[in-house]
Amino acid sequence: MTVIEVSGLVKRFGSAAVVDDLSFAVGAGSVTAFLGPNGAGKTTTLRMLLGLVRPTSGAAMIRGRPYQDLGDQRRRVGAVLEVAGFHPGRTVAGHLRVRCAARGIQRSRIEAVLADTGMGELAGRRAGSLSLGERQRLGLAGALLGDPDVLILDEPANGLDPAGVLWLRGFLRRLADEGRTVLVSSHILAEVAQFADQAIVINGGRLVLAGPVAELVSAVRQALVVRTPRAEALRDALVSEGATVRAVAPDQLEITGLGSEQVATLAAALSIPVYEMTAAAGRLEDAFLQLTAAEGRPG
Amino acid sequence: MTAALHAEFLKLRTTRLVAGMTGIAVALTALIGILEAVTAGTGTGMAIPSLATAAGLRDNLASPGFALLIAALLGVVSASGEFRLKTATDTYLDQPRRGRVLAAKAVAAAAGGALLGIAAAAAATGIALGFAASRGFPLALPATTIARYASGTIVGAALLAAAGVGAGSLIRHQVGAIIAVVSWGLVVELVVAATLPSAGRFLPYTAAAMMAGDTNGGGMPQIPRGVIALPYPAAIAVLAAIVVAIAAAATLTTARRDVA
Repeated sequence: MTVIEVSGLVKRFGSAAVVDDLSFAVGAGSVTAFLGPNGAGKTTTLRMLLGLVRPTSGAAMIRGRPYQDLGDQRRRVGAVLEVAGFHPGRTVAGHLRVRCAARGIQRSRIEAVLADTGMGELAGRRAGSLSLGERQRLGLAGALLGDPDVLILDEPANGLDPAGVLWLRGFLRRLADEGRTVLVSSHILAEVAQFADQAIVINGGRLVLAGPVAELVSAVRQALVVRTPRAEALRDALVSEGATVRAVAPDQLEITGLGSEQVATLAAALSIPVYEMTAAAGRLEDAFLQLTAAEGRPG
Repeated sequence: MTAALHAEFLKLRTTRLVAGMTGIAVALTALIGILEAVTAGTGTGMAIPSLATAAGLRDNLASPGFALLIAALLGVVSASGEFRLKTATDTYLDQPRRGRVLAAKAVAAAAGGALLGIAAAAAATGIALGFAASRGFPLALPATTIARYASGTIVGAALLAAAGVGAGSLIRHQVGAIIAVVSWGLVVELVVAATLPSAGRFLPYTAAAMMAGDTNGGGMPQIPRGVIALPYPAAIAVLAAIVVAIAAAATLTTARRDVA
C-alpha cells in the first residue's frame, strides 16, 4: 500500500527549479532512504510533503491527502526537519508539553517518548544546554509523541558522533520493525545502506533512481584501499591488469576495477606484502557520478 | 483552535519572555515616573507640573507610555522568535492552519500584554499617588479618572501586544521587526501626528498612550500639541480595528509564504 506519493512535483525559486518534475512513492512499513547530495532538493521536497512549502505545481500526498488536510490523522505522522528547532530557555519536558498541547496529545506520552529516545534523565534540562546528539534525540521524541506510523526525518544523523549514528541506525531499524513507514533523507549512502530497504535518489531536483538499497549499493563501484610498503610496484601491476589506481598516501592505494581476491592474488604472485586491505565506503557522490554519467544526465 | 490556544499560552508560560518584558516595562515606567515625580513643579528635569495639579498628576500617571511599546515588542518577539529560533517548522507541522496559529498567538500575547500593563499601571499609580501623598497633596484627579488611565494602560498594552504579533509575522526577521516597531512608535507616529494632528489620535501607539493618560505636550512619550485624545471607547475600537487589520494582513501573507 502506498503511504507517501509525490507526483510531478515542481518547486521554483525565481527561475531556478529546486525540485523538477519529481515523482516517487513510498510503501507502507518500509524504511526508505531519500538520497541526494547537498542542494539536491531533498529538504524542499520533504517540506512540500509536510505542507510547509507550497509546490509550484504537482502534488505531494500522505495517505492520499495533502498533509494539511489529514485532520486527526496528522497525529499519526511524525517529522523532524530542524535539528535546532527549540526555544533554548524551555526545558526538554516543557518543549514536549507544548507539542502535546498543539497536537491535542495526552501528556502521558512524554515519559514514554523520553524513555524511548534515551532522554529520560534530561527532562528538566533546558534545550539550549543540549548537545547536538541530544537535540536530535529530542527532535525524534517530539516526532514520536503521536505514536506515528509515518515518520519523515531530514538528515537525522547530521552532526552525530559515531556512537550517535550507531544508536540512530538501531533506533530507526527498530521503528521499521514495528511496522512504521520511515522516510529518511541523507547525503551519505553508507549512513543509510545498513538499515534502509528502499532508496530514492535525486539530483538537481530530479529523480535519478528508485528501488531497493541493495541495487543502489551494487551500482556503486566498490573501491578497495590497500596499504603496502611497495605501493609503486603494486600500482604498476594493477594498472597493467586494467585497474584504476589512485595513491591516497605514500603507502596506500585506492583501487577500482578489480576485486579483493584478484588484488590479493596479484600481490602474492609478486611477493608484495599487503598490511591492510579494506573496502572503501561508497560515497553517494561517487554513485551519482557513475549513475548520471551512465544515464547521460547532467550532474 | 483550542489546541492552538493551549499551546501558545503554554509557550509563554514556559519561557521568560513575559516576565522579562514586564520587568523592562516596569523598570522604564518606574524610572520615568520617579524622575517626573521628583522634579514635578520645579520646571527642571522632566518638567511636568506639580503633583498637586490635575495636569501634573495625570502626566505622572501616564509614565507607562514606553511600557506600551514594550508590550508591542512582546508580541513581535513571540511571533518573529518562531523564525529566529526555527521553532516555526514544528509549530506549523503541529497546526498547519496558519491563521489559527496566528489568532492563538495574538490572544496569548494580548494576555501577556495585559499582565505587563497591570504591572506597569500598578507601578505608575503607586509612584504618582505615593509621591503626591508624601508631599501632603490632596488627590488632584477623581479616582475614576485614575482607574481609567490604569485600565487604559492594561487594554492598550494587550491590544498593542496583539498588533505586535501581526507585525512580527509580517516581518519575520526579528531585529528588523523590532527596529520597525520602535521606529514606528517613536518616529513615524510622532512625525505624522506633528504634521497632521487630526490624524495623530488614530495612530495605534498614540491612541494607546493617550488611553493611559498621556496628553499632548506633556508626559512621556511626548505627543505633539494639537493631537486630541479619542473618547475612551473610540480609542479601544480604533486599536482593535488596527489589530484586526494587521492580523488579516499577517494571516494572508503567512498562509502564502513558505516556512523554510
